[in-house]
Amino acid sequence: MPNLTIDGKQVEVPAGTTIIQAADKLGINIPRYCYHPALPVSGNCRICMVEVEKQPKLQIACYTPVADGMVVKTNSPKVLEVRKTVLEFLLVNHPVDCPVCDQAGECKLQDYYMEHGQYDSRLGDVKVKKEKKAFSIGPTVMLDQERCILCTRCVRFADTISKTSEFGVFSRGDHSQLDVYPGKQLDNNYSGNVVDICPVGALTDTDFRFKCRVWYLSKTKSVCPGCSMGCNITVEWDKMRPHQHKKARVMRLKPRHNPEVNDYWICDKGRYNYRFIDENRIHHPQLKDTLISWDQAIDTIVSTIKDLQKSSRTNRIGVIASAQLTNEDLFVVRKFFKETLKGAQVDFRVPEKSGDKDDFLIKADKNPNTAGAVNILQADADVNQIVQKAKSGEIDVLYVFGHDLVKLFGKETVAQIEKKVKLFVYQGSNVNDTCSYAHLNLPSSVYAEKEGTFTNCQNKVQRIWPAFLPLAESKGDWEIISLLSAKLGVPLTYQHPEEIFKDIAASTAPFAEMTYEKISDKGMILK
Amino acid sequence: MEKIASRHFGQENSHRLENYLKDNGYEAARKAITQMTPAAVIDEVKKSNLRGLGGAGFPTGTKWSFIPQANPKPKYLVINGDEGEPGTFKDKYIFEQDPHALLEGIIITCYAIGSHKAYIYIRGEYVKSLQRVQAAVDEAYKGKYLGKGIMGTGFDIEVVVHPGAGAYICGEETALLESLEGKKGFPRLKPPFPAVVGLFGCPTVINNVETIACVPPIINKGAEWYAKLGSEKNGGNRLFCVSGHVVKPGVYELPNGTTLREIIYDHAGGIPNGRKLKAVIPGGISAPILTPDQIDVKMDFDSLKAIGSMAGSGGIIVMDDTTDMVWAAMIAARFFAHESCGQCSPCREGSGWVYRNVKRLYHGHAREHDLKNLPGIVNNIGGNTICAFGDAVSMSVGSYVTKFRSEFEAKVNKNYAESNH
Amino acid sequence: MFTAEYLQELDEITNKYEQKRAALLPLLHKVQEKEGLITPEAEKSLAEYLGIPVVHVHEVVSFYHLFHQKKIGKCHFSVCQTTACALRGSEEIIEYIEKKLNIKPGETTPDGKFSFGLVECLGACELAPMMQCNDEYKGFLDKKKIDELIEKNK
Repeated sequence: MPNLTIDGKQVEVPAGTTIIQAADKLGINIPRYCYHPALPVSGNCRICMVEVEKQPKLQIACYTPVADGMVVKTNSPKVLEVRKTVLEFLLVNHPVDCPVCDQAGECKLQDYYMEHGQYDSRLGDVKVKKEKKAFSIGPTVMLDQERCILCTRCVRFADTISKTSEFGVFSRGDHSQLDVYPGKQLDNNYSGNVVDICPVGALTDTDFRFKCRVWYLSKTKSVCPGCSMGCNITVEWDKMRPHQHKKARVMRLKPRHNPEVNDYWICDKGRYNYRFIDENRIHHPQLKDTLISWDQAIDTIVSTIKDLQKSSRTNRIGVIASAQLTNEDLFVVRKFFKETLKGAQVDFRVPEKSGDKDDFLIKADKNPNTAGAVNILQADADVNQIVQKAKSGEIDVLYVFGHDLVKLFGKETVAQIEKKVKLFVYQGSNVNDTCSYAHLNLPSSVYAEKEGTFTNCQNKVQRIWPAFLPLAESKGDWEIISLLSAKLGVPLTYQHPEEIFKDIAASTAPFAEMTYEKISDKGMILK
Repeated sequence: MEKIASRHFGQENSHRLENYLKDNGYEAARKAITQMTPAAVIDEVKKSNLRGLGGAGFPTGTKWSFIPQANPKPKYLVINGDEGEPGTFKDKYIFEQDPHALLEGIIITCYAIGSHKAYIYIRGEYVKSLQRVQAAVDEAYKGKYLGKGIMGTGFDIEVVVHPGAGAYICGEETALLESLEGKKGFPRLKPPFPAVVGLFGCPTVINNVETIACVPPIINKGAEWYAKLGSEKNGGNRLFCVSGHVVKPGVYELPNGTTLREIIYDHAGGIPNGRKLKAVIPGGISAPILTPDQIDVKMDFDSLKAIGSMAGSGGIIVMDDTTDMVWAAMIAARFFAHESCGQCSPCREGSGWVYRNVKRLYHGHAREHDLKNLPGIVNNIGGNTICAFGDAVSMSVGSYVTKFRSEFEAKVNKNYAESNH
Repeated sequence: MFTAEYLQELDEITNKYEQKRAALLPLLHKVQEKEGLITPEAEKSLAEYLGIPVVHVHEVVSFYHLFHQKKIGKCHFSVCQTTACALRGSEEIIEYIEKKLNIKPGETTPDGKFSFGLVECLGACELAPMMQCNDEYKGFLDKKKIDELIEKNK
């Protein structure tokens, strides 16, 4: 394997590696616009030029393969000069839109100018005007042709990743214009990704437009709960200025790089499905139309359960758990309902219509933790039977986690259940049609408020971190069950989901020897 | 002086096969295929010191020897007939008046490099050339000089005539390949070079029209004869194109190494209207401009390089003393701005910026700092781009500013307020 | 858009190339020869015929100077404005054409008979100042010759 030196540091990399990739390995960040690790090399921006010993001309790092014994300098005076030069050329016709451009704060022209530019402008001319400014090219993306530096990342993305080929660069010279094919829209399942890869504000997210300056954003790592792919994401949220966003905290989601799961990408559905984190939440425990306290809610449930325990009728407890819950939630559900209350009928496999899928990231299973539910819940009951029994009065306590039974089984069935079941509990984060039938509504937290793990369709266990505290009076699912268990006289001693996970690893074979530390932010596959 | 490339020019119906055959037509091709090995042909061309006449002056035989014979992929020959370099018009004459010379050269070249398919890329505006060359190809197929088993030998060769569509950058060899493959004329990143990865990913030789048209005479009369004509490392004659302020603009075939003075005054009739020489472009617009004290230079690749210019495409544009050099620089800058393909940032933004700067200077809309900045901006383009177009902008436009500085200074408008525009 | 006959003409061109896509430029020339311009419909049909995304056909059409997306005049003047022609009076010729036809470069006369554009070097500097009138090169231009050309093509 070739061994080379970059800025005095040695590194050994496989043959065929380019200088920029070798530098990235060393943590040396060579500036780049057109280069993207997941896209074919274009070599047109010229800002990654570096000095290679024994070569008279500077070479572009994104395209030049390393050689054994190569000596590269990424910050010699020649290189620093050329970076200024390239920046100057890129900024010559670039509109000074910063005050109205969403990219400000995460813009590579701004960043590299501050780091490598810092020259005085010599422009005495009018800038080249282009046709489309603040132009919607589809439902999710806006185009500003003047801001575009023609790096062609979006063109290469549309050709090789989404394979939908919407983008092209038309005309030539400094009148070149990036655009979609006239009359065509950017409307594929992955359109939002072009905003991520655009280094400047030429392609911006319509959903995020003018919403929040990025320097107000805090970022938390998580995993998309939209389907079993479990694309890694970053939840980006603003808590400093609730008066600006009508109390919404999450401003946007961004894909997080995981080469084994979603690489750099996420589908549009996953990207834009964050509003439920702040909107339409259940804020307080509620007994029919009356807001009650958690203590009251817990008491109500536990007293009913105690009755059933005394008369050995815990088999009249039906639990419809969910593959939307974390592994930790599910473990506590099993512990309480199956071990403590022996005989309770527990299942999670609701009759959902299989969703759309493709041969890229979208999976038909719209749950983030089916593999976890299968392995941890070890369900031996059947949801359809539970529902039938609830309808016919053979269930006294129906405990539903987050599902909309009205959507799944119809209004009549749920109305029946409301009448026939003694205690119909809905524990979920968001309001749905089932809530008006449930006797007791318990507010639980959403994934962005939880710490825990999901298991995706690759059987990969992935960690999620909480961005902020649960909204209003909502609590984590496993915490609510712990309260029930404690009130019932069987206190669970978990203070933190990591402790739960330790028990999962100790008791559930596929998770053997896993720890949060080992899983880190890249995930670990079940045994 | 014995004419080589232009030996049939001006003769009636010189483009017809029947007339080409009357002058040893296709005999060199027959000789090469039946009496020489491909390696021997390459060797002969190397010894002749034939150098590329499109602009770069690369030794032709050496270029052919870069084709990796062991590579199992098919080999291609591509003829660069894009002839877009301002001041150049010689290949048009070969196309229109001696297309069979080109075809014969193609046969020999293909034989030498192991290729059985040649494309002739002709700029789209050359309608008559496209018609004449296609007609010649048709004649050659009919006469079995092209096709399967030509001239009774076992050698197969196919030739396709391909039109460009109006983009100077397609004269750059890798941009030409892109254009030939049905894409925009964006020059490719190098390496790999076309000899290894060229047309359709296969080993390819790209040569200028005139270069290949000179090959049959070299095979017929020998490398030694050709090398003796011309300069030490620059064998043969070349078709010099003279235009601008001269009495007799036109194509002049003269030995490599003829002085520029001789070409302008002894052949092209000198400057009309009793005016004096002020400046001359020696090798197409990309070549740094020369002043009258430099016209005793020998017109060959090495001599012109030595004085900081280039022999380039052989396009000589003469400017008399009525010429405003800032105006001339503006026209050059405008050309580059219009023809930049736009792929890489220094050239795309820089060529337009330089043009606008020089234009403002010319119209009296520029102040001292604009002129002060101009050389720096011009120089920043070259050396940082994907292809030599960027270098051409820097060298060409830069040369006007360097050599005629006083005229630029005179155009500075100390009183111009930028708010005026 | 492509009838069987039309397709045959296209196939004849395409069959010369090892890769179908390489035929794009001559195909576009053929379509423009028949239709006078390149329409979005033509782009889509060619894209389908060659099996490439239509956006890349449009890129090619917009990149190359000889392909027109709007109808040009029956008689189109492409006047060279580069160095050799400029040295021999192309600027005056351009001004004269503008005056005579009452249109600016890039425009077409209202009756659709004339249009003109400014182009860079056409490879005929020995005929300077010159232009391309439809397919033909016309050199040594002066006001008289311009008058004659306009008269002839009225």
